[in-house]
This record gives sequence, structure tokens and C-alpha cells, in this order.
Amino acid sequence: MSPKLPPQPHLQHSSTAVSDGQSQSHAAPPKGILRWLLTTNHKEIGSLYLIFSLTMFFVGGIFALVVRAELFQPGLQLVEPEFFNQMTTMHGLIMVFAAVMPAFTGLANWMIPLQIGAPDMALPRLNNFSFWLLPVAFALLLSTLFMPGGGPNFGWTFYAPLSTNYAPPSTSFFILALHMAGISSILGAINIIATILNMRAPGMRLMDMPLFVWTWLITAFLLIAVMPVLAAVITMMLMDINFGTSFFNAAGGGDPVLFQHLFWTFGHPEVYIMILPAFGIVSAIIPTFARKPLFGYASMVYATAAIAFLSFLVWAHHMFVVGMPLVAELFFMYTTMLIAVPTGVKVFNWVTTLFRGSISFESPMLFALAFVVLFTIGGFSGLMLAIAPADFQYHDTYFVVAHFHYVLVPGAIFAIMAGVYYWLPKWTGNYPNERLAQWHFWFSIIGVNLTFFPMHFAGLAGMPRRIPDYALQFADFNLLSSIGAFFFGASQLLFVLGIILCVRGGKKAPAKAWEGAEDLEWTVPSPAPLHTFETPPVFHRISH
Amino acid sequence: MRSAWRWLLVITLSASGSQANANDWNMPVGVTDVSADIFGLHMTIFWICVVIGLVVFGAMFYSLFRYRHSKGAKAANFHEHTSVEVLWTAIPVLILVGMAVPATATLKNMYDSSDAELDVMITGQQWRWRYEYLGEDVAFTSNMSTPRTQVSGAETRGEHYLLEVDEPLVLPINRKVRFLMTSDDVIHSWWVPDLAVKQDTIPGFINENWVTINEPGIYRGQCTELCGINHGFMPVVVHAMEEDEFDGWLAERKEAAAEEAMGVDREWAMEELVARGQEIYQSICSSCHQAEGQGSPPAFPALANNEQLISDVDWHLNKVINGVSGAAMPAFRSTLNPVEIAAVVTYTRNAWGNDTGDVVQPSEVAELIAQ
Amino acid sequence: MWSVVKSVLAALLGVQSNQKRQEDFSSGKPAAYIVTGIVITLLFVLMLIVLATFAAR
Repeated sequence: MSPKLPPQPHLQHSSTAVSDGQSQSHAAPPKGILRWLLTTNHKEIGSLYLIFSLTMFFVGGIFALVVRAELFQPGLQLVEPEFFNQMTTMHGLIMVFAAVMPAFTGLANWMIPLQIGAPDMALPRLNNFSFWLLPVAFALLLSTLFMPGGGPNFGWTFYAPLSTNYAPPSTSFFILALHMAGISSILGAINIIATILNMRAPGMRLMDMPLFVWTWLITAFLLIAVMPVLAAVITMMLMDINFGTSFFNAAGGGDPVLFQHLFWTFGHPEVYIMILPAFGIVSAIIPTFARKPLFGYASMVYATAAIAFLSFLVWAHHMFVVGMPLVAELFFMYTTMLIAVPTGVKVFNWVTTLFRGSISFESPMLFALAFVVLFTIGGFSGLMLAIAPADFQYHDTYFVVAHFHYVLVPGAIFAIMAGVYYWLPKWTGNYPNERLAQWHFWFSIIGVNLTFFPMHFAGLAGMPRRIPDYALQFADFNLLSSIGAFFFGASQLLFVLGIILCVRGGKKAPAKAWEGAEDLEWTVPSPAPLHTFETPPVFHRISH
Repeated sequence: MRSAWRWLLVITLSASGSQANANDWNMPVGVTDVSADIFGLHMTIFWICVVIGLVVFGAMFYSLFRYRHSKGAKAANFHEHTSVEVLWTAIPVLILVGMAVPATATLKNMYDSSDAELDVMITGQQWRWRYEYLGEDVAFTSNMSTPRTQVSGAETRGEHYLLEVDEPLVLPINRKVRFLMTSDDVIHSWWVPDLAVKQDTIPGFINENWVTINEPGIYRGQCTELCGINHGFMPVVVHAMEEDEFDGWLAERKEAAAEEAMGVDREWAMEELVARGQEIYQSICSSCHQAEGQGSPPAFPALANNEQLISDVDWHLNKVINGVSGAAMPAFRSTLNPVEIAAVVTYTRNAWGNDTGDVVQPSEVAELIAQ
Repeated sequence: MWSVVKSVLAALLGVQSNQKRQEDFSSGKPAAYIVTGIVITLLFVLMLIVLATFAAR
């Protein structure tokens, strides 16, 4: 983008602000439910996203607990394998598409305009549409559980032909739901790109942007690049199921492996879509509580770009055992090992930011530090999985389950929680109850490790994924995991309690709620008024 | 090299003070050269991660402890050091290159299935494995033999709960065996940890893999690709024998197969067919159509009191021989022989109140298959 | 031209100094970086393919 900031968007915005439509909505927003249905305010839509995501986090969590309850001991006690498969599938789909992704979009909605000094998102009505697609999409998806033949039961990766010729009749609804979620993501991404590129405060160049904004800019491009691939692959499924095509049906001349190539062309960048904004949040929190600028800001931006770019070249490492040619195995092994390098750069930079800082341990910082440690552990198991010959033993076992839960739960989700605790004073004007937040943190840490660490051992000892019952030698690990899962699940109620208490009251926060916080959002009052930066702020460059 | 890893493992084991077998919580060393190589790679990369972890987390926790705000630490203001950054980019690159070299060598070896002495075709089916010794006219299916009463908890679970089958794959030791792998329905994945063989079986594709087993024994594994309801009940058992023992077994099986082929031409009595059919039904059909033929609609229709089935024997035979396209019912024309198809159809037509009295002779089935 | 290539390589590696980055973002056209980026990406992929093919021999 042009390095010199175009002033036009601001002029446009302030000129519409004084025209009748805008000022009217300032004066009297609709009351009750309509206010939320019709809102075009980035803060309200951000809150809607976050509330939706938190709700879905619990829905997906309950599905996970059904799975863990069944796996508490060997044998089938609670559910039939058919329902078990629906639970594992729905848990994955809900957590990926309805919990983690909307949470990041919610944070983006709230924070990107505040961090770049913009009055709102560039396309407010589109913003409203993007959000309201989601409840519809996931209501539809959840309703498939009550349809004859049950909901999706083929895993969140929905490999054909299990998900086409052998799928339950509700699969077409699953496809429609995913299409809607995909449209929502694409529109959200377009909105974020348009906002970041056009609406920065005068004087703020791209390279002055906070890292959360940077990582989201790159994430948004990833979304636009890969969501259409997902749309294509599920449309091909729809055709196979309903219109007699044979894209993935070997009997009709189709190719089941093609499905996996397409799916992971989407799926691997998707993994980074769920982690890059987390990098951004942690890169905001660690400098704040170390009271020291982020080490290697430039490298952080470049490493994010490098990760995003490499993420398109590694997809087939999910397919090391499908029987690819040797050359392809080697290619994807090398690219996958290379992606560890920029990821390592990030971790080193966070640690060096802490070095010779002045560190305090408020709840956002605790979650961010736990993120660094536990995400790195997930990265290590990722590196092990990258070694293609060893992957022949790891593939589709609980070792993989442990790996991706380490990067997603104490990775993405801890970063989201860190962000929530960090920005709650800005959103509500009150500090969250620190004692409660600390309890939440320590319970979560114990729960998450108790749940997922034993899975490494179960996987190495030979337990496959997605089985409703298991051989007796895996019993101890599963017992621990199940206890951990219920403990983790229950401790998340403290999170909800903390948020509710914080919304209702608490210690009042000043505009700059944290001593070391530097970005633009801390220049507006706490709580942030409904409309901020209607006059663009003057951006003073911090010497990065 | 290999013994070095075993030694390391022993150290780790004794350090943890555990009496447990390493297989209970770590990857097995296995019984092939490839599995030992993979174990070596696994432990190498593991210790590399441990060392990097100690350095990084050590630096992190030192900083957290040393530079506490509460102890009056004053923040420095440095935020960049290009040469340090280049250094800590270069070191991981070198480590990774060092790791990629042995990994590439192992992978090349795993992909070299030339000069095999025995070819075995492995076919995944919902939810069993079919093994065919190519060129030997010996083929059979392998089903989980753990009774459902153990799964439900009505009976005490045995030592090899869920990891036991009616007929294991029998292989010789010290001979290179090539596997040709495919599937009749959805994607499955055939895995035996001790052999370090895991390969997807994909409809329409034939994948290759190979193994040379060093020690006789019984090695157990499972299907590792989600393949439907009974994905968790699809074990793999390999019985590795001394070479002459294996040759004897194979000759015996060949003889039995030849005898069975002879049986197609003779007239079978109903009781014979029903008895044989009941066995086949329980091992193959009951996983979907259930033990009492009640099915689990809508995916798996009931066979007991099924009007169409009772009234139309040709329709019934056609479904069993050719399967139902677009549904879970596979074609059994190549997996079951005419005697077995005749037996199971006869059994189904006379069980659970379906008392049609029909007897389907193997010769009729053979004729239908030939058409 | 060479400075553009160097910057793109730095991005590929993930390490860049702040001063260099300032220069990148204040001088030069974005199009030059995008085109160079695409070319270097293709070269990078090609190089890995050659390497993998060679290693598989």
C-alpha cells in the first residue's frame, strides 16, 4: 500500500457524520432487540461476536465433555459409537468455526478501529451482516443433530467418501451452514483489510501499526485466499451427494485423495488464521507488562508474513500416509521443517522482550506467558510431526490430538483470554476482579495440562484418534485426560463469572488502564464511548 | 546407533522409576529395522526439542524471576539487535538440516518396496480387513473377535480387549513382504506400531508398503482413519512365524481353499448352509445389520421381517453379490466365495422369523457371479 | 533492485532491522515488492522441488 496516508477516507467519514442519517442514529439508536439486530457500531458488533463465541465455546465444550466422559474408562457406557462420532465432529467444527474464529473477529472489531484511530469499521453494514450470518449458520449446523440419521459424523476434516456416499442425509445442511460461515469470514476479512488500509489516523504508517493490527491484516488476506477453496470443496461434496457427480467417488472415476489436497489447501492456512491474531495479542501484552518495547518489531512483522506465506506450501504434511510419491513427501517435509524457523523467531523475540524488563504478573500477562510456554510445547510436537518417517507412527494417533490441542487451547484460546482480560477495562471501564482472574488462570493451567499432556503418551503407545472405546493399556492416560477435561471445563465458569462481574462493576479503570500500555486505544476514556475518534487523533510515533 | 537409543531409553525408564514397559508410554522400538530407525529419529528430535526448550524456557523464567517489577526492576529500552536475530535464525536452520538428512534416508528406505518375496493384498472394508496372498490362492477376512458383551461391560474384559481377531494376518520373519493396500468403501488406515507400517487404504487407489520382520511374535494394531461407526472395532493382528512354519501354514491354507472350491459343485443340505451362514453372518453382517437382523435404520435396514427380502430371493442375492451403490452395503462377489454367499443368504432367509424355507445352492451363486 | 530482493529475502526468513524496514516502507513502490516476492516464491518452491527430487534419487 501507499506509504503516504491518503486523507480522503477521513474526510468522507466526517462529512457523512454530519449528514442527517448518521447524526440521527447518534441521537436515538433503536431500543431492545432491534438495537442489536440493526447495529452498525463496531463496538456493539464486536461484543456480539465475543458473546456468540463464548456461548459456542461452552456448546463445543459440552460436546468435548461427552467425548471425555465416554472415554473415562474402557467400554461403551454412555453413548453409542454413532453419537460419539457426531460429538467429536461437532466439537471440532464448533470450536474452529464458531468459537475461535469469531472470538478473533470480535476482538478485531473492537480493537482495530481503536488501535488505528478510526471512528468505525470501513463497511459497517457489511459488518452487521457478517455477524448475523453466524448465529443462523450454527443454529442450522446444530439442528442437524436432531435430524433423522443424526448430524455430521465424519470428523471435522470430513474426508470423502465417508462424508459423501456414506454420509447421513443431514450432510447437505452441514454444507450450507459451512458456506454461510465461510461467507461471513470472507466479508469480515474484506472489512478488516479495508479498514486497516484506508482508515488509519493521519501520520500512522503501516509500519507504525500495533502488531495485533498487523497480524490481523495478514490473517485477513489468508482468509480471503483460502475460504473460497473450502467453499469449492464443500460444493463439490454437495454435487457428489445430490447431483450424481463423482468428484471424490472412485467408483465413478473420482479421486478421494483430491478431497484431502483441497481440504488441506484450505485447512493448513486455516491453522495459521487461528494463531496469527493470537501472536498479535501476545505481542501487545508482553511489552505492556514488561514495561519495555517489543524486541524486534520489524522481525515480528516479517516473521508473520513468512509464516503466512509458508503456510500455503505445507498442506500435504497432513497426508504423509496417503501414499504420495517420495518426492512429494520430501518436499512437504522440508517446507514444514522450515516453518519452524519464523515461528522460533517469534518465540525468541518474546523471551528477549522479557529480558531486562520490569515485569509484573497481572492476569493478562499470566495468560500471555502461559501462551508462550505451552504454544512452544505444541510447536515442538509439531516439529516432531514434521519428520515424515516418524509421522508414519504419529499420524492419526492421540499424539496429534495432543499437538493441535496444545497450539489451540493454551495457544489460541489462552491468547483470546489474555486479550479479554487486557481489554476488559477499556470495554467496561472496570478492572476485572484480579483474584478471580488469577484463580481462573491457575485452574486453567492445571486443567489444560492434565487434559492434554497424557494424550502424548497415549498416542505414542498406539491409541488412534476418534475411537469411542480403547484397549486396556490406554486406560490410565484416558482417565487423567477425562478428569482434566472436566476440571478445565468447570474452571471456565470462573471466566464467565469474572466477565459478568466486570461488566456490572468493579474497580474503576482510567483511560490508560495498564502502566506500560502504549497504543492508541489507551488514549480514549474507559469505558470507550460508543463513538470514538470521530475527529481523527494525531498520531505520535513511538520510537520502535 | 540402534543400541545407543535402546540404552538411552533404559536410562530414561530407570530415571522415571517406572517398572512399566516402554511401549506403555513411548513409541515402540518395534521388530523391524525401519521401526528401529524411526524410533531413533523420534528420540533424536525429542531430545533436540528438550534441549531447545530448556534453553528458551530457562532464559524466560530467569528473566521473569530476575526482572520483577515488584523487586524494583527498571526496564531497559533496547528493542533490536540484528546480528543476534540472524544468529538465532541460523542455528535452528542448521539443526533442521541436520535432522532432515537422516529423515530423508529413512524415508527413502521406507519407499523402496522392490525385491519383495511375498505380496499380500490388504483391503479395508467397513469394518474388517481382507488379506489376500497374491499368487497363492489364499484369502480370508479378519474380524474383531472381542465379544460385544465385553464392550458393554457385561463380561470381564480380556487381556487383548479390542485388539484380537478371528484370523490374524500370518507373515514369515526375515522375508521382505510387500503390501498392496486398497479399500472397498471408505478410507481406512492399516497400522501396526511394532512394524512401523501405517498406510491409508483408499478406494480406487493401490498403495504400497513393505516390511521385513526380525522376530516372531504377535503384533497388534488398529485402523487409524475414521471409517464410520465401528472404526474403533477394526483391529489388525499380525502373527509373525519362523519361515518353515509359515510355509507349512500357507500350504495348509492352499489345500483348504482348494477343497472349498470343490464344494461349489456339490448339493448342500439346508442345515449345513445355515450353520455355515450363521458364522459368516455373525462375523461380517452383524456389525451393521445387528445380531438379530434388526438393523439400525435408516442407514442399515432390518433383515428380520423385511418384506422385500422375504418375497424376492433374486433381489436378495443381487444385493449381497453386487452391493448397493451409494450406500454402505458393499459388494461381496470378490470377498466371499460362492459357498459363503449361498450359506449366508440361506441363513438370513431362514432366521429370526424369516422362515421362507428357501435353500440357495453354491452352484447357483457361482453362476450369478459368472454372469 | 538488489535492496528490494534483500528485503523480500528478509521477509522470507522473518528477520529484519527496523531501519531497513523504515526504508522499505517509505521508499519504493509496493508493486516492485509484490512482483519480487512472487518471483522469489516461485524460485524457492522450484529450489525445494529440485532438492527433493535430487534427495529422492
